[in-house]
Amino acid sequence: MNSKVMNTKIIRTLVKKEMLDVFRDKKTVLMMLVVPIVLYPLIFIGAMQLMAFISSSMEDENYRIAVEADDEGAFIHKLSEFQQEEDETEEGGLSTEAAAKQDGVETSEQSYKITVIDADSISDYETALNEEEIDAYVLGQIQDGKMQYEVYYLSSVTNSSYAANLVMDVFDELKEDMTRQLITDEGMDVRAILEPIHYEKQDTASSEQSLGSIMGSILPFMLIVSLLMGTMYPAIDTTAGERERGTLETILTLPVTNRQLIISKFITVAVIGMVSALLNILSMGAIALYMYKIADLQTDVASFDLAKFIPAILVCILAVFAFSLFISAVTMCVTSFAKSYKEANNYITPLMLVVMFVGYAGFIPNLELTQTMSMIPVANICLLIKNMMAFKVDYGAIAVVLLSNVAYAVIAILFLSKIYDSEAILFSDTKAGLQLFEKRSNMKKGGLPTVSDVWFVVAVTMLLMLYVGSLLQVRFGLAGVFGTQMIILFVPLFLVVYTKRDFRQTYGFAKAKLTDYLGGGLIAVGMFLLNIVIATGLMEIFPESAANVETTFSGILGDNAMAALFVIAVTPAICEEMLFRGVILNSLKAKYRIFSAVAITAALFGIYHMSLVKFIPTGLLGLVFCIAAWRTGSIYPAMVMHFINNAVSVAITYYPEQLERVLPILTKTTLSVSDVLCLLGVGAALAGIGGAILWKSGSRIAGRERA
Amino acid sequence: MITADNLVKTFTKNEKKNKKSEFNAVDGISLTVKEGEIVGILGPNGAGKTTLLRMMSKLMKPTSGMVGIRIGDEELTDEIEVKRHIGYLSNNTKLYGRLSTRELMQMLGTVYGISEEDTQKRIEEISEVLAMESFIDNRIEKLSTGQTQRASIARCLVHDPQVYIFDEPTLGLDIISSAAIIDFMKGERKKGKTVLYSTHYMEEAEYLCDRIVMIHQGRIISEGTPAELKVQTGQDSLRDVFAELIRGEGISDEQ
Repeated sequence: MNSKVMNTKIIRTLVKKEMLDVFRDKKTVLMMLVVPIVLYPLIFIGAMQLMAFISSSMEDENYRIAVEADDEGAFIHKLSEFQQEEDETEEGGLSTEAAAKQDGVETSEQSYKITVIDADSISDYETALNEEEIDAYVLGQIQDGKMQYEVYYLSSVTNSSYAANLVMDVFDELKEDMTRQLITDEGMDVRAILEPIHYEKQDTASSEQSLGSIMGSILPFMLIVSLLMGTMYPAIDTTAGERERGTLETILTLPVTNRQLIISKFITVAVIGMVSALLNILSMGAIALYMYKIADLQTDVASFDLAKFIPAILVCILAVFAFSLFISAVTMCVTSFAKSYKEANNYITPLMLVVMFVGYAGFIPNLELTQTMSMIPVANICLLIKNMMAFKVDYGAIAVVLLSNVAYAVIAILFLSKIYDSEAILFSDTKAGLQLFEKRSNMKKGGLPTVSDVWFVVAVTMLLMLYVGSLLQVRFGLAGVFGTQMIILFVPLFLVVYTKRDFRQTYGFAKAKLTDYLGGGLIAVGMFLLNIVIATGLMEIFPESAANVETTFSGILGDNAMAALFVIAVTPAICEEMLFRGVILNSLKAKYRIFSAVAITAALFGIYHMSLVKFIPTGLLGLVFCIAAWRTGSIYPAMVMHFINNAVSVAITYYPEQLERVLPILTKTTLSVSDVLCLLGVGAALAGIGGAILWKSGSRIAGRERA
Repeated sequence: MITADNLVKTFTKNEKKNKKSEFNAVDGISLTVKEGEIVGILGPNGAGKTTLLRMMSKLMKPTSGMVGIRIGDEELTDEIEVKRHIGYLSNNTKLYGRLSTRELMQMLGTVYGISEEDTQKRIEEISEVLAMESFIDNRIEKLSTGQTQRASIARCLVHDPQVYIFDEPTLGLDIISSAAIIDFMKGERKKGKTVLYSTHYMEEAEYLCDRIVMIHQGRIISEGTPAELKVQTGQDSLRDVFAELIRGEGISDEQ
């Protein structure tokens, strides 16, 4: 009991200290208070001013239209109806409005300043348009007894586009006038002919719903960005900043547990984030309210019952709280690795980009808050707010979103306390981080890449693959797949060469015995059979995404089986293995325990395939490849295994009939119970025998290493 | 009294030749500092002084071995309990620049579980002893080097610790600032406190220490009063004693 009281007292004191420390820094206060309170209104007012300026300048714009028409002045006459009266412009827009109100008629027709230029005064309409002497050129000729007009304009010049639109409007009215005239001349009823039916669009959305749908797409993004901005600075200050200023060791001398320390830092960052986000909301809300009041005074178009938004706003505030917990914990995890502000800023930039990218979820029209979606951080908050603003209330989803954010925050905090338990991170004086950014002349030759370097390169490779690779595949098909493989080969290769790492060691280019290949081959075949069962099972569970995978795969493959074999089987066996079982596995192996290194590499290999259904089978494949590379101490058996696996897939795609005759089980789409048992039995047996062979060979290698 | 029993600290280092190598920064050091005693740790750079002192102040966990504190009849080994009785000061224990010394001390008082009233009293006392009245309410970042040093001492005085552990406290200070620290340590010895500190300055150690522990490559190579050490090596000054002992061990500048 007493210790509990002490505990909260210590945390409270530490939070107070952190707060004082953070708030006495002018930069934080500036970011937190000045930005939302001053900058937003300024931006809004500025934007409004700019819009007003643009529209007024558009009104003031004089459109010069050259006319050459054999229509006895019909067009020019109509055009003059659109023309602004001189006295009207001098008195300004107010008098027009007043006049309109007095008459009780709405003047839907706008008036413009138009100067009609005689076509004879210009030599050539193209040059005149290009030199902006005129904005549009109207040419009217009689063809087959009908007036045929051509309007020439330059779409690249704003004024010319407007002028052309204006001329088209004039023609619309001219056409209608003439139609009316003709009908009247025939002695028929104009209304009955021109409008045989009457139709109208009725928006049944309440004004609150329309407002909500606008707010629903903008608000989440604004909130997420402002929370990110709000937490970023205190997160850096309390972690990397503390280290840079050298106060970390001071605070470690206190009789305070790491948990108390982290919790108090976390509370500080989260509270500052919340406050700053709420300030942002308030500021935006005040502006919105102000605009609404102004709009209310001017028109009677829409009136809102703001009370209807109260539940939405309450959930929004809860969401802000939950998200601030999440984002504070995550940013602190990232910044804790940094030793200085500068370094922390570098680390946080990618995080920011990812969060903002996912934060666009609110703008995507048909994205729904499904079960899976409500577990995805950032996106779930966006969609929840969007739903609330659209008056779609689902208590289950609200609970899942809020709880998942809290759960992720807890995980991140646990991770954070791991960092603070690690003396290697806390007391490191030397740079263990990115070697890639050091001076090349300072790099020592040989050895393995550092784990940070590997992470960096993996991130770069994955991003390139995601953006460049997928583009290549869509554009060039099979050749694009080859291009992607080249990215996977050369980006890590650049790291290895640039940082002067040991080639053989990094990639595991070492001789393997014949039995190693035999064992590996057996595992690969066994694994393939097991994966058939797994893949079929997964297709049952996720039929849609499975179909998706199928279509994209068959879309890429061409007719040439040999080309497909080369690109789908040979190239990945080399390129992917060199990245995963080479650079990644060997570097991780040197730093972490073998179990973690293998697990991480296998999981990365699964993620790399970018599909929910593929994750498990490819992850398992990655696992057996890793085990092979580890036990044999060489990358070659893993390459052969990878080749076998992919080659069989290619064979199934290209020669289904032939295979069906030999091994019908491979091409079946539905599996009977006996099929499943057979596949599992044979697969496990083969993999088991292969595994035993590799294990034996591994002990030989381990023995050699020990000696 | 503070006791270190067979302390070992192993660091893992990623060497050039791929294989991570392990080395013991502190390799089996046992040490006891009694009440009313100042013990100086001497050793070349990389000898393991900082690691040893960090372990003894419970900032780092030893790979093996124990650190304990005895207050009266009470034997303490728990990390948090030990920290409560230690005042640790090093070059790396900087102060929060945006707080004032008083605010810092008030906060520390709460963390150490001292009542507000007692903390207040303590602050007044310390401020008088260290002549800090003129700047105790200024932000620490605005203080001069000497004032900051005094604020640093004030920081580890708040909880009136039984044991002081100072890691090169006088490094880079002018004569007046370092004199303040030396006087302070002497004063605390008189009060029966335990003082353990490391230094590079031979004269200072000779003048101040009751006992000197020479360490090299993580091991104690010699131990005794300054006089004993001189007799032992047949040298006239502690500087020569030091050189002689290191030479005897074989000089290695690695690490």
